[in-house]
Amino acid sequence: MKRTIIPFGPQHPVLPEPLVLDLILDDEKVIDAVPTIGYIHRGLEMMVERVEYTEMGFVVERICGICSFMHGMGYCVSLESIMNVEVPERAKWLRLIWAEISRVQSHLLWLGLGADAFGFENLFMHCWRMREEVLDIFEKTTGGRIIHSVNRIGGVKRDVSDSELVAILARLQELGKTFEETSRIFASDPSIAHRLGGIGVLSKEDAYETAAVGPMARASGIRTDTRLYGANLYDQIEFEPVVETAGDCLARAVVRMREIPQSIDIVRQAIEKMPKGEGLPLENKPRGNPVGETFTRLEQPRGEVLYYIKANGTKYLERFRARTPTFANIPAMIKLVKGCELADVPNIILTIDPCISCTER
Amino acid sequence: MANPLNLAMVPRALRNMVSRPATRRYPAEVRTPFDGARGKIEFDVQTCNYCMLCARRCPAAAITVNREERTWVIEHLRCIACNVCVEVCAKKSLTMSNEPRKPHTPADAHDGHRPGHEEWHGPAPEAAVTSSRGTGA
Repeated sequence: MKRTIIPFGPQHPVLPEPLVLDLILDDEKVIDAVPTIGYIHRGLEMMVERVEYTEMGFVVERICGICSFMHGMGYCVSLESIMNVEVPERAKWLRLIWAEISRVQSHLLWLGLGADAFGFENLFMHCWRMREEVLDIFEKTTGGRIIHSVNRIGGVKRDVSDSELVAILARLQELGKTFEETSRIFASDPSIAHRLGGIGVLSKEDAYETAAVGPMARASGIRTDTRLYGANLYDQIEFEPVVETAGDCLARAVVRMREIPQSIDIVRQAIEKMPKGEGLPLENKPRGNPVGETFTRLEQPRGEVLYYIKANGTKYLERFRARTPTFANIPAMIKLVKGCELADVPNIILTIDPCISCTER
Repeated sequence: MANPLNLAMVPRALRNMVSRPATRRYPAEVRTPFDGARGKIEFDVQTCNYCMLCARRCPAAAITVNREERTWVIEHLRCIACNVCVEVCAKKSLTMSNEPRKPHTPADAHDGHRPGHEEWHGPAPEAAVTSSRGTGA
């Protein structure tokens, strides 16, 4: 039988991300997929060898534009654990709030891209209009829409006044109500059910074997969430990870959809529990240079991210490594793509929420 | 199961027909920047003591300071607006304006002016302040 090889990416209409995938087809059926990683490799991890560790935070933020806050936070949390810096309480809560707001914006971005990929352009615009409101919150509080630069080793640089936090919460809750309508459309529209339902089913066993993370694993029925371990004040938050059991593309969309109201609720809890008042300490500056090594795990919108940092007592770190969620989800994605129809490949790839900037760093 | 006669999108589609667009006619209609937004670095040559801390701490190496010649130079196209120089400035000579940097056009690069290049010459003892600004920065 004659086989065809179709290059999927680096430029493909459905995906703004330069994913490089060679699809080996037998007629219309994909029988194998070969990913290539490194098309947009920038060598950011190696930059620690010549960028001072205090300045590296700004580079780490630029690994990816969508999870930039969480990347900056993960880097700072890692170095704080090496240098035994106690972060002020209010700074920790502010980080948690920003992290959850960035989850909302990331999921809205993805839902929009997903809607665009299966031809629902109207819904795409609605999702991105809502996302724009979230970005406005970021710009008001951190000073930047995408690159926030508020995380420093030992705390955060900006405070958000209590009245402003209440206003932000009100705005997010209003957005949550608007989003309810959008999620009803996602859940009930026949064209969406037809394009996503039953496509790319990842069983619980397969998700476990391929070590899928984040919404990908949760859509296959695995109750996994790094936030459950309670680090970064998540032990004081009451929440239950969103788990779906179907494991298909629709389930992955539904997990992300249900996580948006959940994140808004986490923001509400955080605002209730954080210490109130003006002029509370926000930063404990570290002294000296770091010595030691550490692993840090965070739950990014796309799943678990893992940072490894090794410091040798100089102002340059010896090693910095980030294992990003998309990288962890690639084996599961390849498994899903094998055996599906060519027309379903874009949807399957999109529902893992690929971030190639993160993956290739 | 999805209903083939689903009309969930209809109320919103009707609302959209009568509501204002969510977008702006950008060049004609510009949004006022938020108060805390990080836009462009502003420099006050009168108060600077040329300690060079901003140049040393700038992660993007956008600032060059020469203490002997009393010059303070910023390349706005290198600047990542991280606010570090503003934080470290002991004399409060640096401020972050919330106005974003203006885009450059090829016409800006005339007379040897580099786009985004802004240069300040501080007062030599008992001399007047002069400045030469790059265009469009």
